[in-house]
Amino acid sequence: MGGSIAGIVEIDFALIGHQESWRSAADVLAVLRGPGHTPLPEEEVRDILPWIPPRAVCHVEIASTRGAKVRGVYIDSFIPPDRLGDVCMRDNLARVRGAAACAIKAGAKIVSLGGFSSILIEGNFEQLPERHDTVFTTGNTLTVSFVVRGIRQMCLQEGKDLRQTTLLIVGATGDVGSGCARCLSRGVKRVLLCARNLERLRKLAAELTACGVQVEIATDPRQFTASADVVICAASLASSSLLLDSIAPDAIICDAGYPKNLSPCAAMPDAKIFFGGLGQVTGRMNFVPDLHGILNRHPFPDVVHGCLLEGMALALEGRFEPFSRGRGLITPERVEEIECIAARHGIYLAPLYNANGPLKTALDCRAEVFV
Amino acid sequence: MEPVIELKCSLPANYTSLSPTALIWQDVLAQAITGELLAAMNYTSLSEICDDPEEVADALEHAAGENGHAAAFAHEGRKIGVDASNNVHAKHWKRLREAFLRCIAERDFIACLMVQEIMLESFAVASYARVGKVAPGTLGKTFAAIAAEEEDHIGHAMEILRKERAKDEQSFDDKLYRLHLEVMTTLAEMLAKDCRTGHCEVCHGSCVKPALPDVSLSAAELRGASLHQYLKTLDKLGLPGEVTLTWVAQLPV
Repeated sequence: MGGSIAGIVEIDFALIGHQESWRSAADVLAVLRGPGHTPLPEEEVRDILPWIPPRAVCHVEIASTRGAKVRGVYIDSFIPPDRLGDVCMRDNLARVRGAAACAIKAGAKIVSLGGFSSILIEGNFEQLPERHDTVFTTGNTLTVSFVVRGIRQMCLQEGKDLRQTTLLIVGATGDVGSGCARCLSRGVKRVLLCARNLERLRKLAAELTACGVQVEIATDPRQFTASADVVICAASLASSSLLLDSIAPDAIICDAGYPKNLSPCAAMPDAKIFFGGLGQVTGRMNFVPDLHGILNRHPFPDVVHGCLLEGMALALEGRFEPFSRGRGLITPERVEEIECIAARHGIYLAPLYNANGPLKTALDCRAEVFV
Repeated sequence: MEPVIELKCSLPANYTSLSPTALIWQDVLAQAITGELLAAMNYTSLSEICDDPEEVADALEHAAGENGHAAAFAHEGRKIGVDASNNVHAKHWKRLREAFLRCIAERDFIACLMVQEIMLESFAVASYARVGKVAPGTLGKTFAAIAAEEEDHIGHAMEILRKERAKDEQSFDDKLYRLHLEVMTTLAEMLAKDCRTGHCEVCHGSCVKPALPDVSLSAAELRGASLHQYLKTLDKLGLPGEVTLTWVAQLPV
C-alpha cells in the first residue's frame, strides 16, 4: 500500500506541532509526495494545507545515550503558518484538540504540545480530551530550563556577571516567562517584568518581592525606568525596536517566544541575540518518513524545541505523567528535576544560534552546564 | 436508462435579462447534474450485481434518489433562467464511470462502494455544502439539502465498509489505494485550480473556475473542502492518518 509505514504499531509518546512557515510546510509535503512527484508550488501549499485535518505525519524514534529507546509519532495540527495569532484562537484550539484525539487514538502514553499548541493549551488544559491512559504536558518546564541555561551560558561567554545585571522578561506572566522569573530573579540585581495583563503582573511581582527580589512592572517595555542587561522575550514582540529604549547597548537577548522573530539588527549592533528554549539529542533520533532537518530546521543536528523534548525525555525515563500542566506552576525545583531527567538520556541545551546562524561562541554547552 | 445528453455552448435566449451570476450558476449546476446522473447510473449498475433482493432494492432506490437530485438541480436552473445541461460522457466523468464499471465487471460490491460512497460522495457532499452556503435563495437551500441527504447515504455504506475492513485490513487498504490512484487522480484533475488538460466538456462556454470568486466560491476552496471530507471519511474507516495524508499529498494539482 502506497505510503504505508510498516512495522511500527505501539508507541510511547506523541508530539503535537505545526509548521512555522510556508516553506517548511512545502518541504514536509514534498517529502510526503516522494521523489517521483514534483514538489508543490508554495501557492498550492497555501491552498491545500488549511484543509488537512490534524493527523500523524511521521514516526519518531529516539534513543537515549544510556541505551533506552522509545517510539512515538509526530502529529501535525496543520494550523496554517499565517494563522498563528489570537484572531484564529477558536479554530486553532479545535485543531489542537483534533491532534490530541489523534494522539489518544494512536495509543500515546505521553503527549508533548509543541510551539503554538503549548501556548494555546497552557491556560486551556480542560479543553483537551479526557483520557486516563494518555497524559499531556506542555513541555514548558524543559523549555524554561533551556532558556535559563542559555542565559547563563551567554553571560559566561560574554564575561557578564549575572548577579550584577538587570533582567527584563517580556511575556513575564505566561508559563515560560513566569518560570524563568522564578528561576533567575534571585540571582540578578533587579527584575523588570513586562506583560499585557496588569493583574497577573502584580501577582507575580508580589510573589518575587516576598522573596526579596527588587521588581518593577510595566505593560510596555518602554515604560521602565531602568535599562536591562539581560532580556528574555518569552512572548513574540511585534518589533525588536520596542526594546530599544529599555536595554543596554550590549544587552544579551534571548528570543524564547514563538514564533522566534528577533534578529540582530542595525539599531542594536552590540546586542547579543540568541534563540532560547532549544535542546539537542545526543543519542539518536530517527524519523520515518525521513523529515530530519525539516521538522527540526536548525543549524545544528538533532536540535528540537524543549517543549517537545520534555515528552521524549519523560518517555525515555518511563515517567508517563503530565509534568508541565497549567500556567504559572513552574518552580526552580521542577526545572532542576526535568533537566536532570533530560541530561540522563543525553538531552542537553543546544548550541546557541540566532537568525544569522551559529553564534561565534557556540561551544559545547554541556561541558559547562552539566558536569 | 441513459440520461439525455446535450452539450450546449450557446447562451440562453433570455441572456440579457439574466442576473450577472446566472451563467456561473449554470455551469455549477451542470457539473452537479452530471455528477448526480452518473451516480444514478452507477447505482443502477450496482443493482445488477447484487444477489440480495434487499440490496437490489436499496441500489435502485439510491439511483432514483440521485435522479431526483439531478431533476431538482435542473429545476433550480430553470428558476434562474438557465438550462443547465449535463454531459456524462465528458472526459473526466467518463473516466470515473469507466472506473466504476470495471468494479462492476469484477462483481466487486465493496470496490463499488469505495468508489461511489467514499470518493465520489465525499466530493459531492463537500462541494454541495460549500455551494449551499453562498448560493442565493432556493438554489442554496437545494444544494445544502442535497449535501445533507448524500451524507446520510454515506452512513449506511460506511457500516458495511467498516465491517469489511475488520475482516482483513491490509487487503481492504490495498484495494482502496488502487482505486484511489485511479478515481481520486481523476477527481483531483477535475478539482485543479485550472483545467490544464483543456475544456472539461461540461461548462457551457469557457471554464467556470476563474469566475467562481464572483459568487464567493473558488476552485481552491472546493478542492480543499473535498479533500478534507475525503480524509475525514478515511479516518472514520480507521485507515492510518499518516498513510492517507501521503495518498492525498501525491495527488496532482
